[in-house]
Amino acid sequence: MSKRPTVAEHLARQGVSRRAFLKFCAATASMMALPPGMAPAIAEALGQRRRPAVIWLSFQECTGCTESLTRSHSPTIESLIFDVISLDYHHTLQAAAGDAAEHHRERVQEEFAGEYLLIVDGSIPIADGGVYSTIAGMTNLQMLEESAKGAAAIVAVGSCAAFGGIPKANPNPTGAVSVADIIKDKPIINVSGCPPIPVVITGVLAHYLTFGTIPELDKLGRPTAFYGETIHDRCYRRPFYDQGKFAKSFDDAGARNGWCLYELGCKGPTTYNACATTKWNEGTSWPVESGHGCLGCSEPDFWDAGSFYKAVSMPISDLGKLGLAAAAAGAVAGVAVGLHNRHVKAGAKAAHKPLTADELEGDKS
Amino acid sequence: MTDMELLNWARGPALEWATIIFVVGVLVRFLEMSLLGRKPDLSEARASAAGGGWRTVWRRSIPAPGLVKQAPVVIYAGYAFHIGLLIALLFFAPHILLFKDVFGLSWPALPFFVVDAATVIAIVALLVLLVHRLVNPVRRFLSSWVDYLVWAVTFLPLLTGYLAYHRMILPYTEMLAYHMLSVALLLVVFPFTKLMHTFTIFVSRWYNGAVSGRKGVQL
Amino acid sequence: MSQLSDIPVTVTVLQAGADAAPHGRALLMELENQLRDLVEQGRESSIDLRSLPLSPGDLAFLEQHLGKGEVTAEVSALGPSTVQETAIHGVWWVRHYNSNDEVMAEFLEVTQCPDIIRAHPADVRDSLEDLRARLVELE
Ligand code: SF4
Ligand code: SF4
Repeated sequence: MSKRPTVAEHLARQGVSRRAFLKFCAATASMMALPPGMAPAIAEALGQRRRPAVIWLSFQECTGCTESLTRSHSPTIESLIFDVISLDYHHTLQAAAGDAAEHHRERVQEEFAGEYLLIVDGSIPIADGGVYSTIAGMTNLQMLEESAKGAAAIVAVGSCAAFGGIPKANPNPTGAVSVADIIKDKPIINVSGCPPIPVVITGVLAHYLTFGTIPELDKLGRPTAFYGETIHDRCYRRPFYDQGKFAKSFDDAGARNGWCLYELGCKGPTTYNACATTKWNEGTSWPVESGHGCLGCSEPDFWDAGSFYKAVSMPISDLGKLGLAAAAAGAVAGVAVGLHNRHVKAGAKAAHKPLTADELEGDKS
Repeated sequence: MTDMELLNWARGPALEWATIIFVVGVLVRFLEMSLLGRKPDLSEARASAAGGGWRTVWRRSIPAPGLVKQAPVVIYAGYAFHIGLLIALLFFAPHILLFKDVFGLSWPALPFFVVDAATVIAIVALLVLLVHRLVNPVRRFLSSWVDYLVWAVTFLPLLTGYLAYHRMILPYTEMLAYHMLSVALLLVVFPFTKLMHTFTIFVSRWYNGAVSGRKGVQL
Repeated sequence: MSQLSDIPVTVTVLQAGADAAPHGRALLMELENQLRDLVEQGRESSIDLRSLPLSPGDLAFLEQHLGKGEVTAEVSALGPSTVQETAIHGVWWVRHYNSNDEVMAEFLEVTQCPDIIRAHPADVRDSLEDLRARLVELE
């Protein structure tokens, strides 16, 4: 068993007062999208939980997810979450440590087998034996399989780890797949987004840290607390949508009046994420509030859903051009069929023999 | 397959193939009909053929009083359905975007609640027509499976569109995908069934009217 | 190439109409409910402003209609927190910042006195020990 201190002990040892702890719990409740009245329950749970060990693996990714998270990394509330979870291995952040970091990862995996939390960002390339992304001589596939074995749960951070993301976009040269495509026997929490909202990442971690359980998940493995509703359902521009007031370009009067961005390609109606409530950059604003439609970044294959500036009701492909080509083909085929029919008709006419009344009489017999 | 993959497939390959089949099918059938040729009419025209044609196009659009008495359900429900469908199809803002994307043309939309009401009317009318078809022995006898197929492929886009807009039964993404797939199905079935009347109805009315008009008979 | 300054950017301030603050009224009504509970049953409650899809207009609307009350307090615990009583007694606007002065959480608390201001009994107990120790040192 781990001899790690409980979360509350750990915080007290760091000289965090109960008032500060209360603030921490209130902020955590808000982060987890729990009702504010839950703060005392959180405080109590945290008093008993031991600090979990965490291993963070970065695969085929752009570091945007880690960047999103560490952007808010200051010695305060969110970082406390990281303090208390004890981040034992983060490939990107520890790259300079080289071999030592790898050995540490192996040690943690052994010592806390069955207990540690595995966080993954980036997709896993499996084409050509996985050669397209390797770390310390191991392919991403090998490392994921090895580290997943002893994990209590896996958090797939970002759309790449959750759904394959941009690496998986057509034509997917590296054969990129998601964590859930490979690991079938562990609970997986998908925290999608490109990148995910930092508060959502910490919120999910805080949930695991506080209650030691997997939050309620949707069909795609995303926590419903954050991905339970579409951007569109919680968008403050929604009243304009319902009134049919749309911005037609990015600088017309409608855009300046803050009308709905549907016609400019907003994917809010089909995108499940918390941007509309949690917002970005510590609650400063979010894409739609800044005047740009949602790209749908927290949904599978968002990169293959056609232009970002085409409304969801529009076809992905250029049906106009396709229709013209089809019309040309149709015209040729139609003329061919028509000529054939004429030929048949002419043939029938030629073969036509007039009947006499006698012949008809004869028929009657 | 996730909802999103399904939607991407519906917005992509499914609609592409449906468009190809639709356009080729409609053109082939049109050319087939017109290339068959008509016998030249050598008689002297008693009145203008075109005038008679246009007159019939217009007159046949207004139900004859006798017909209304004889088949009130078909007339009322039929008109309600067609008008409701046209409003929903042509004046729903997202649909107009689609037409703009494909044809480069756009026009002002009607408010959502109007489109919504039109959709409900069209759906109810179609249901009434189906029941009527099933209950009335003569209609039932005259109906083949194609009639039911045509009914279904017309009904599905209306129903899925309504459910998607109101976020009912299924998540929006999935319902929107089914809506687009049902439209794709409609496009595929269209050229090979009586749905072709969408294009031929006025042509044939005009033709009938013109033939009679030339003989001095007003339809 | 056009310069950045050549691009005309006009900032239009939205009129605080119903369009700009679609949720403002509903929030005030919710507060009315909560305040009634406090008066009649002594039940405390709060609204997490970060969990609602509020437009900038909504927040302005709230600030305008709740007004500023008598108490303004600043707490520094894991970064600053500000506590502002609104002109509606018993309704407090509480903002928790981190040490980069970014808002971490924002609540409207309906209570006689927000918890973040009260000293925690356990902290008080510890401080009693602490004070005694200081006295001992003085001897
Ligand atoms: S801006 Fe986008 S998310 Fe907001 S109401 Fe319009 S379509 Fe929906
Ligand atoms: S608004 Fe849409 S595209 Fe932008 S971050 Fe949120 S989910 Fe992603």
